[in-house]
Amino acid sequence: MNDMLTSRERFGLLVIDEQPDRCNIMPLITSHAATVKGMKLRDYYTNGENMARAQIATVEKYEHDAISIFSEVGIIAEAMGSEFEYPENDLPILRTPVLEKKDIEEIKLPSPRADGRLPVYLEAIEYAYAALGDRIPILAYIPAPFTTAMMLSDPNKFLIQTIREPSRVESIVDRSLAAAIELCYHVIDAGGLPIIVDPLASSSVVSPKTYRQYALPSERKLVDFLHRYDLDIILHICGDTSPILDLLPQTRADLISIDQVNMQQAIDKLSSRVRIIGNYDTSRLAFSTPEDIEAEVRYMVEGALHAKKGYIAATGCEVPIKAPEKNVVAFIDTVKEVGWYWV
Amino acid sequence: MYQDLTPEKISLREWSRQFRMVGDSEIRQFKYYNNDEWGIYLSPPATFMVYGSRQLKKLKFDNSLAALRLWGFTFNESERLFRARQSGKRIIAAMGDLGTVPVIALAFPDCIPFYPDCTWWTPFFNESTVLLDKASELGTPEASCFVRSTLAAFHKMAYFPKPDILFASTGASCDDYSCIMQMVEDMGYELNWLEIPFRRQRRSLHVPEEHTVAESGFEYPKRFETYLVDEYKRVWQKMEALTGTGDLEDLNASIEKNNRIRRLVNEIKDLTQTAAVAPFPALEMMIIEFGNLYGYADIDEWLDILKMIKQTIADRVEKGIGVLASDAVPLAWVTPTADPLLLNIVEDLGGRIVATEYVINQALTTIEEGIEPFHALARSFMNASLIGSTEERVRQIARGVDSGKIAGVIITNMLGCSHCAMETRLIEEKLKNVPVLAIDIPAPLGITAQLRTRITAFIEMLR
Repeated sequence: MNDMLTSRERFGLLVIDEQPDRCNIMPLITSHAATVKGMKLRDYYTNGENMARAQIATVEKYEHDAISIFSEVGIIAEAMGSEFEYPENDLPILRTPVLEKKDIEEIKLPSPRADGRLPVYLEAIEYAYAALGDRIPILAYIPAPFTTAMMLSDPNKFLIQTIREPSRVESIVDRSLAAAIELCYHVIDAGGLPIIVDPLASSSVVSPKTYRQYALPSERKLVDFLHRYDLDIILHICGDTSPILDLLPQTRADLISIDQVNMQQAIDKLSSRVRIIGNYDTSRLAFSTPEDIEAEVRYMVEGALHAKKGYIAATGCEVPIKAPEKNVVAFIDTVKEVGWYWV
Repeated sequence: MYQDLTPEKISLREWSRQFRMVGDSEIRQFKYYNNDEWGIYLSPPATFMVYGSRQLKKLKFDNSLAALRLWGFTFNESERLFRARQSGKRIIAAMGDLGTVPVIALAFPDCIPFYPDCTWWTPFFNESTVLLDKASELGTPEASCFVRSTLAAFHKMAYFPKPDILFASTGASCDDYSCIMQMVEDMGYELNWLEIPFRRQRRSLHVPEEHTVAESGFEYPKRFETYLVDEYKRVWQKMEALTGTGDLEDLNASIEKNNRIRRLVNEIKDLTQTAAVAPFPALEMMIIEFGNLYGYADIDEWLDILKMIKQTIADRVEKGIGVLASDAVPLAWVTPTADPLLLNIVEDLGGRIVATEYVINQALTTIEEGIEPFHALARSFMNASLIGSTEERVRQIARGVDSGKIAGVIITNMLGCSHCAMETRLIEEKLKNVPVLAIDIPAPLGITAQLRTRITAFIEMLR
């Protein structure tokens, strides 16, 4: 069947509880776009126009339903003073967390138009919006406060502090929340729809207790802030979130993006309250064959398509940078074959 | 509590900054259909820009809370129609008559009338050819009016839900639109047609018959009222069949409610157009006028918004403050612009709109109360400017010119709009006592430096 709607129209219907022509397809194609465009990664994440052009080229190639402005979760921490290395063909690497050099009180709130690579992100959003904003949602990934807090710190020390120094962790998270909100103001004015990503709040990294104590409240505050704008907010947490599935609706996010979770379990627990996004195994996308992918994606979509509040077919995490393009095509084509509502 | 700042027109970014001062309780205070979950609509322009209305990045907006409410409410209309359907209301598509069928539809419980025709603004607000391209694919020629985007919207069903019933006008109506509606019918939609008579003036070649005069001064054969009464009764019967109910007292109540809106809008227009300094921008005023057609799918909330706007404007008039310079050149605007940006541009270049003729006179004049309701609707409709001769339209515009308050007239001519193509030239020719600028409205994103130069030159010449 042929698409009847643009991606923008399709997503617009989903978020007002209407079934679109087919389910939205939003694999987390982020830095993989650099591969598609034949671009070195450093050229991708240090230049907004490059990032946007790579994303546009990728959407034109795969015809999925979202542009994803993102490279890695350190951007806010970097703008607050953490230092990163920029390998030519890899993602930035955290070298010196700012809290190794300064106290929390000394860390300034970033200016999104001036500090770190935040201007790169804003330029990418503006470029993509000007080019395709009438046809496709421009998703702008915002590192959640808990994740940023860990990128401001030595991660090992930070995890210990979550147990021994809760008030310090809370103040770092609060500072990160303020920085995230400041970034969101600019992202929205640029035309991007903020999507909150909190990989370090995953149950693969921290306990449900730690999640409940630090990450969840800050996610909820960020969602509440964005709801002032009446925006529909996606929350993505990588890895295994099975132990915290019941807590996720408390964030008040409108769409929950899951990774290493049993989809049926997620549907049972969440689908009457939020729209579900997920969750094809990205390692399969990297190392499997198009034939296997087709069978597995078909199974996934058929099981999730009629989730009560709606469903977006996606990968569980970012599409691997070097994933074979034929595998990504297999994923998208399969959803387009089986993911129809209007027949 | 949010306090309005000194009036001015501000950009989307400036509104975003100002929105930080709006409290959560104020945001939650305004809602459509009285729904707390999805009915809240007080958002800054940036919200709708994020969802694809790209032109909002370029527009300037009034900086009052009332204007914010106006924008939030009108830009939420598409969602509102879907929410109406989800909550069990019936969706009534009224097309082409511009102002009468919704008054009838609103007499029935839980019925939400709207005008699919208004989709013609969407390509401009979105700066997008998505709908126009789809309309072309579906068979409309490129040289037809922007109302062809309505055909694409019916095809896509992403801009409004499938209506429970459709009423479409033909006869003395926009002919491009009429053709589009026929194509909608070809898609399988069942259309209920009603015919609008051409408002003939008394002429020697006509068979002698009784004529009468509408409130706005247009003369017409009296029997047209009887004709329209029959047409409106057919609409009523269809609505009765749809809803299983029908009480003429409810029609009287609907007339009374619509009149409240019409009076309020006339008061707002009078305040705005006669103040020493323009207290409200032309773009917001155009949106206010068009609200008379159907109340943007929640007439009660719309009425409340209008009250707030009137209060804001009255306060500004009392203080002698406004959004334009006091020496702005007073202009009349004839035929609504499909491209909202043009209203901004004219004001930015020193113009001020003090009179409008947006071809919806029938929705601006009040409906007589205390007489048989269908008859009242028919008499009201005969005020329509688009159903008579150009000469009549010119006379009406000329009345404003002769009053001395208008220095120049801007007529907008829609690409492919066949009645515009003929009428604009005629109006231009016949308006003798005032300089006229006729503007061809280009496709989305088509406003050129040359067009700006023409407007600048026109306003400088008037000055």
